[in-house]
Amino acid sequence: MLLADIATLLVNSLTWAMATFLVAAGLTLVFGTLHILNFSHGGFFMIGAYAAYSLGNWLTPLLGGPPSVVLYLFGSLVAGVVVALLGLLVDRLVLRRLSGVEDAYVLIATYALLLVCEGATKLVWGLKYQSVMPPPALDGALLLGDAVLPRLSLFIIAAGVLCFVGLEVFLNRTRPGRLVKAIAADPWMARLMGVNVRRVYTATVAIGFALAGLAGGLLLANQTLSPSLASAFVIQAFGVIIVGGMGSISGAFFGAILLGLIDAVGQWLLPGLPGLPFFLAMTAILLLRPEGLMGRRT
Amino acid sequence: MSAPSGTAAAASAPLGFFGGSLRRDLAILLAVMALGALVPALLNRGLIFIAGMVWINAVFGLAFNLLFGLGGVLSFGQAMFFAAGAYAAAVFSQQFGLPFALAWGLAGVVGGLLAGAVGAVALRRNEGVYFAILTLAFAELVHLLISNTALLGRNDGLAGLARPVLSLPGLSLDLREGDRFYYLIVLACGGLIALLRWTVGTPFGRALQALKQDPERAEFLGIPVRLHRWAGFVIAGTLTALAGALVAPWAQIVTPELAHWSNSTNPILYTLLGGSAYFWGPVLGAVLLSAVFYITRTLVGVSDLVTGLLLLSVVLALPGGVLGMLDRWLRRGRSAQDGPR
Amino acid sequence: MTHFDRRQILQFGAAAAGALALPAHLRAQGTPLKIGLITPLSGPQEFIGAYVKHGAEIAVDQINKAGGILGRPVALEIRDDKANPAAALAAARELLGMGINLHLGGISSAVVLALAPVMQQEKGVFLTCGAGTEKMNHEAYSPNLFRPGDSPDARGRAQARLMAQKYPDVTRWTGLIPDHEYGRTMWSIFVDGLLEFYPAIAKKKPEILDPIMMPYGVSDYRNGITAALRQQVDGCFNATYGGDAITMFQQARGFGLMNRYKVVCDAANEFLVARGLKQQLPPHWTGMHYYAAANKGNAMSDRFVADYLAKTKDPEPLGWAAEAHAALYALAKAAEKGKSTETASVIANLKGLTWDTVTGPRTMRAEDNQAVKDVELVFIDPANTDKGYAVSQYVKVAGKDVILPPAPGQKLKLRTA
Repeated sequence: MLLADIATLLVNSLTWAMATFLVAAGLTLVFGTLHILNFSHGGFFMIGAYAAYSLGNWLTPLLGGPPSVVLYLFGSLVAGVVVALLGLLVDRLVLRRLSGVEDAYVLIATYALLLVCEGATKLVWGLKYQSVMPPPALDGALLLGDAVLPRLSLFIIAAGVLCFVGLEVFLNRTRPGRLVKAIAADPWMARLMGVNVRRVYTATVAIGFALAGLAGGLLLANQTLSPSLASAFVIQAFGVIIVGGMGSISGAFFGAILLGLIDAVGQWLLPGLPGLPFFLAMTAILLLRPEGLMGRRT
Repeated sequence: MSAPSGTAAAASAPLGFFGGSLRRDLAILLAVMALGALVPALLNRGLIFIAGMVWINAVFGLAFNLLFGLGGVLSFGQAMFFAAGAYAAAVFSQQFGLPFALAWGLAGVVGGLLAGAVGAVALRRNEGVYFAILTLAFAELVHLLISNTALLGRNDGLAGLARPVLSLPGLSLDLREGDRFYYLIVLACGGLIALLRWTVGTPFGRALQALKQDPERAEFLGIPVRLHRWAGFVIAGTLTALAGALVAPWAQIVTPELAHWSNSTNPILYTLLGGSAYFWGPVLGAVLLSAVFYITRTLVGVSDLVTGLLLLSVVLALPGGVLGMLDRWLRRGRSAQDGPR
Repeated sequence: MTHFDRRQILQFGAAAAGALALPAHLRAQGTPLKIGLITPLSGPQEFIGAYVKHGAEIAVDQINKAGGILGRPVALEIRDDKANPAAALAAARELLGMGINLHLGGISSAVVLALAPVMQQEKGVFLTCGAGTEKMNHEAYSPNLFRPGDSPDARGRAQARLMAQKYPDVTRWTGLIPDHEYGRTMWSIFVDGLLEFYPAIAKKKPEILDPIMMPYGVSDYRNGITAALRQQVDGCFNATYGGDAITMFQQARGFGLMNRYKVVCDAANEFLVARGLKQQLPPHWTGMHYYAAANKGNAMSDRFVADYLAKTKDPEPLGWAAEAHAALYALAKAAEKGKSTETASVIANLKGLTWDTVTGPRTMRAEDNQAVKDVELVFIDPANTDKGYAVSQYVKVAGKDVILPPAPGQKLKLRTA
């Protein structure tokens, strides 16, 4: 009995952790490279989710039968592309003008962008709550002895791990990825070496936003679809990247797992104060090791 | 000791923050208070209520800008002091039965103590974005604690708060009727604004400016940077709490939303809209933003979009805010008058 | 081509003929009577506010066609309270300052509690169209505040009573309760009902487990769901609400949580959760402020549904629209009865008033300004249609059988396990 409880607790924590990591990955990537904390990241995650939803609604009756996993994944990819294009637009109109501007103003500008995302979502898709069923292959649960492990949870965990591995490979093993890392570490030197830093920034923004959109699509069946989706994830994502180290993908990954475990254990021991352990952990890290678990001290 | 390099240039600015004289600003304050006192005679009841909130929010913004514009410290969690003041005033007057003036003062003390504790811990080695997010985290912690405390009404908050009857020696002022409490708000906020303005001109205020410009040099010159920032944080927290405490009798209800991070963004909005380099910036921002919300109140649902676009355009196109824009026009006008050098 | 049944054609024809045939002096004339509508039209409760607005507007049209109130046409002054007390206060003070003394609206409990002192000071009347707090008729009672709709204690106890009647063998109960005032209160009321009605009707003592306290406003409910899985119970009471409820049910699906219960009773989601979840919906009982099919044959209800469809193309007006409709009719009747729209007269005539509504006649208790109304409960199943859900049973429980006695000024006292 107790073993099953632990297994379930682990799977639940990892599900929350990977869901949050999927949202936080793009956020921390953009911060690491451009040193812009994009408050509106959650808003684009939400737009990605709605885009995947609309695509699903359009394609499912055309293809007939219940939506398959392939369709679900396809929807996520399309969402990623759509949001990446939006990201390019945002880069052109907003982010470029913020280079050299004080941190505070950047934070405000991206907060304003979040409001714009929320307003636009309400206008385009309305206010009703929607929800999406997972494809039949991802419905139901695996039974491991007494432990009930929902398939959707396992899918989200797998998605998060794959995304992490993919990003690590990209950043460490490919030339463009290493370029991004180099510029994040030392843009001045990169410029001296003749790298078109501006172009790499734009590409990074596109990737960051694509990740937001992709996360929106992948997590579509995880929670209600409503215009308040953005704010639901903002604080979580911030917490995770702070704990992990702003700018570090692996930090976000392990930070998410750590916070997920802390939150789950906290809910078990202190059910009366939900969310408290999360904030305490976030605060503790900011005080004891402000650069985060894997961040570099600047 | 030589004045920080910024002051000389700013002194010539007609709307100068640093250089504007105390006397002139106090005169402006009196004029604004006089205008404010006319509001009940001229505007409808709803607008009187909003005007009271604008006064309170103006102080909220000014206290924020003491930290940000003057001291260069961005706090994303000022709502926690606002809520602490509001709830303290509510509890002291409703549950402890203390007279209003005492409850109000104690609410300020509560804000100051909270700021002292948070500041001591947060300012240790955190700057820039990290400090901002840390204050956000602390504010959310306060929000969580308030929402889960039965004595504070949990998420329903404390309702049915009474407006006070002030008993001064020989005289009793019943502020429960109509909008009489509005006049108290004008007086109280006027006093707080004067206090803020005076602080700006003191050696302490000038030291804050110095360490915003160049913390290393300031430290070199013997200004203990962290101590000053902490003191600034405590002053801002106290004044924010005093402003928040006025909400308790004015709205007659306090709810945990006062501590939500969206309330922390309000003083930031006012300051940026008005112009953070100017003392009156946050006040102008508070007035303008309230006006925008009031005018668009019947255009339902579009408020997010409007606020977002407004803010975005201010940051991208008008980094100095409205006062910054005015300043540039005036200066351009003046240098045109001066003719070629 | 829309299909009208004969009855509808007759009704429309009669209404049209009536309006045209009325001599001019009987049609609503005179200076318009402005009534304030303060409701969330933006922010988190926006779409509930939309129902309130439509319901109120339909009531106003109908009342005006019948001659208005005391011969004066009614006009609504609509303000957005954004579900936040400060905005509501500003709106209320503005309307009161304009000379408007009659108001309705207010969905958020915080708004209603905030408006009480203002209405009392400024001599206004306020009728809530669906706020859930029990405090307004208890410790926060004010003579100027009325609830013309469901009382939370009547609703919860009616549900418990229904459970005892239909499921006498389901004696082990738990709850999925959001950890805030409303959630806790709804659970306590339901428990009170279980403790009274199971022994009385099913002749069995209910066993009430510690409910699972759920977070609210978050995107992950799995830990709460897992804790619920550990409980051995047959009956589950859900008080989670709106978007939170939908997320919780979605995630619970993977665990098969809802399948473990013999019956799921939902506090107040009307069709919100059903519309959101569609085929994913767990079958459950829920309370409605108003269910059209349960009121077929009531002329007022049939006309309301028809007017609502004509106005908004929505065939299913949710309960809040009906509450707004009923509130306006209460005001109209109270004003006509006292031959005055002055606050003191309206208050005096609202107290003890019996008036016709879309759910049948209701009576406003004089002691605590709470209406006694029949509670409507429906059982919703998922369906393989576009709509995604269907009502398979509905029940009306007489309000007077389940409502608790009035206790203005005091906290609500409930039985505990």
